[in-house]
Amino acid sequence: MKILVTELTDSTFDKFVDDNSIAVVDCWAPWCGPCVRMTPVIEELSNELSGSAGVAKLNVDKNPAISVRFGIRAIPTLLMFKDGVLVETLVGLRSKEDIMEYIKTM
Amino acid sequence: MTTDVVIIGCGPAGLQAGIHSSRKKASTVIIGKLQNSALHGAHIENYFGISGSADGSDLLEKGMEQALSFGCRHIGMNVTAAAKEGDLFRVTTESGEEIVCRSVIIATGISRKKLNIPGEKEFLGKGVSYCAECDCNFYKGLRVAVIGDESKAAVSSELMTRYASEVYWVSERILADGRLVDKASGAGVKIITGTPKEVRGKANVESLLLTGGPEIGVDGVFIELGGKSSSDLALDLGVMPETDDTLKVNNSFETSVRGVFACGDITGEPWQLAKAVGEGAAAGHYAAKRAKDMK
Repeated sequence: MKILVTELTDSTFDKFVDDNSIAVVDCWAPWCGPCVRMTPVIEELSNELSGSAGVAKLNVDKNPAISVRFGIRAIPTLLMFKDGVLVETLVGLRSKEDIMEYIKTM
Repeated sequence: MTTDVVIIGCGPAGLQAGIHSSRKKASTVIIGKLQNSALHGAHIENYFGISGSADGSDLLEKGMEQALSFGCRHIGMNVTAAAKEGDLFRVTTESGEEIVCRSVIIATGISRKKLNIPGEKEFLGKGVSYCAECDCNFYKGLRVAVIGDESKAAVSSELMTRYASEVYWVSERILADGRLVDKASGAGVKIITGTPKEVRGKANVESLLLTGGPEIGVDGVFIELGGKSSSDLALDLGVMPETDDTLKVNNSFETSVRGVFACGDITGEPWQLAKAVGEGAAAGHYAAKRAKDMK
């Protein structure tokens, strides 16, 4: 069954990161071609990691506070947290296999 | 104008597609610059029927002559936009000319995106970007440099004037259409002739060093080489590229969108002349067939 990817906002971001031992947040915008191409990758990750990691999306256009807090200057950017601590920031379009490799090391 | 087939890219795949399409009496327009093909300047030793070494530039010029002799029209420019309109497609060149077609073939090859200069990799996401359209909003009121010689740099630098306080377009030799250059200049872009040598900064980008010494103080460096990327063109036409920038095709070299074909390096490895030519022949054949079947 396909699971919809959680859409975060500036106000729900912190709770999501706190609630998931491993949290992966895809910072994106709808006009960004590479972000659109990343969408199916994030959906697959969300399905495959269901129960073991939290995968979510954050629209940087509607939620600028998180972009400012993490100094985001390019999208797509993947923020990866372990027990609430930012451990990896991946910039640019990535394959599912590439992202999985990073998650395995967390 | 309306035509049967538009081919974007004029390397060996695009030219062979043009030859086969026009031989099937389909009106065909090839858009692209010969010098942007990976074959240009290369030496070929492993192509069927060639003994010794053949000059890639010669092959391209002869291929273009062949395509033109069969009735193809060639526009030596980049494509700046593409769109799906019902069963048809609209392709726009950098001079603003719009061509409506029944089939479109993407034969752009694999685009070079990176400059490979010191600081480029280190500051990715910290001031270095490969997509002005994606990241322009993060540079409101800041100073940026846009690097590139062709239409993508022209369009991106003009776009950045709507966000950044200062926009420098750094080019070794401007190859974009004059209208795009005028538009960028008119919007306030400062054009600097030079070769980027190093991106410098501490936590984020602080300057761009050029060969010979000049250093430009900037907060962002946008690397925008060549024309609109094949992936962006594909997305505009409704085709989702793979994460490695290749396009999936079926046995007729048609993508997931009916009427959009792809051939050559863009469909994946091996990046070989023989593969490009073979795929171009098939794509040209099926694109012409689709256009004729629509009439």
